[in-house]
Amino acid sequence: MSAPLFKFGLFGDNISLVLAFLIGIGFGFALERAGFGSARKLMGQFYLTDLAVFKVMFTAIVTAMLGIFYLGWIGFLDVSLVYLTPTYLLPQIVGGLILGIGFVIGGYCPGTACVAVSTARIDAISFLAGVIAGIFVFGEAFPLLKQFYNATPMGQITLPDLLHIPYGVVVFVIVLVAVGGFAGATWVEKAMAGRKGVQQS
Amino acid sequence: MKLNLKKMGRNAKLGLLACLLGLIAAFAGNPYKGTRVTIDATDLAGIVQREVDHINPVDLADWIVKGQSDYRLIDLRSKAEYDQYHIPSAESVPLAGLPDYGLGRSEKIVLYSEGGIHSAQAWFLLKAMDYKSVYMLRGGLDDWKDLVLFPVLPQNANSEQLAAFTRMKEISKFFGGTPRAEAKVKTDDAVLPLPKLQVPGTSPAPVTTPKKKKEGC
Repeated sequence: MSAPLFKFGLFGDNISLVLAFLIGIGFGFALERAGFGSARKLMGQFYLTDLAVFKVMFTAIVTAMLGIFYLGWIGFLDVSLVYLTPTYLLPQIVGGLILGIGFVIGGYCPGTACVAVSTARIDAISFLAGVIAGIFVFGEAFPLLKQFYNATPMGQITLPDLLHIPYGVVVFVIVLVAVGGFAGATWVEKAMAGRKGVQQS
Repeated sequence: MKLNLKKMGRNAKLGLLACLLGLIAAFAGNPYKGTRVTIDATDLAGIVQREVDHINPVDLADWIVKGQSDYRLIDLRSKAEYDQYHIPSAESVPLAGLPDYGLGRSEKIVLYSEGGIHSAQAWFLLKAMDYKSVYMLRGGLDDWKDLVLFPVLPQNANSEQLAAFTRMKEISKFFGGTPRAEAKVKTDDAVLPLPKLQVPGTSPAPVTTPKKKKEGC
């Protein structure tokens, strides 16, 4: 998270950990203030009554994407230095599904669980214990999973590279999808609130 | 339908702004092209003088033994020479192909050639293209052979040298080398056979995609 300053040796391991801790605290504080330390709020996502998580994610994506695009375009940011997580298609799809199922069952994702633990929520403490147990099991079983873990490597690819369309066009399409998704989410929330109202009366 | 900005909510305004920026982006061109590279001669000279652009063969051997994967090791010699022998985990990239090889500018890159001249030239080439973290293997493959594959125990070695040699012996054997004692060296033939390419515990090169980095939400 403290890359590239850490990567280029501007500070060592210890300071990097301190900075990661501070950034983590800031991130956790923002999540807590947004109400994401509550499993009820997060679960609204799956009952379609509160799509705040979806909206926050899309807002973050669009803000960061436009920021990086324009900062790169005016020459303020060297986009080629931004780290891209390599794509391993199949294991990442399976990993995403496992995380999603865990999210639905447990009511948290790993980050929000840590936030909720900081306010001593018992459900989050048991969730985090499960996360740690899962990490342990994964670590122990890694030799068996290693082949799958490294399967279908596609390298550090981006949508413009993959689809052979200009970078800016991809940006525009994603903005439209996000804004459309945002409007759709608001509509769904209203519809669900209406249904709830009908059921209660 | 007429847009009434005053009546619009904050979210709608932000959404509209995002759409507008997105639309401009579609015609703006490539954000990767915005970077201009300027060579800071004083800075480069300083790096050369302080020798912070070098990696010791012993340190590199240590990284490979530990399975460290946060760097890319580039063999600049010809493909034939590479096929004959290369340092485990190295990728073969002859000098002419270097600019188009697809190395990331934020990646840690370690270059080596037979001696040191080609890697020094390649180092400057990459630095001029604004690669941030480029290193050369000190003494190239020659020093790799002398220090890692065939380390020598000097005659009348003191305890410190002996300890260092014992440590190097392990590393040398890991890479399939042959540690030597000074007395023996003199009687030995000048050319020692290079180890077979399959070295225990390391994967055969080339590895074109960088290793996974642990990151999470």
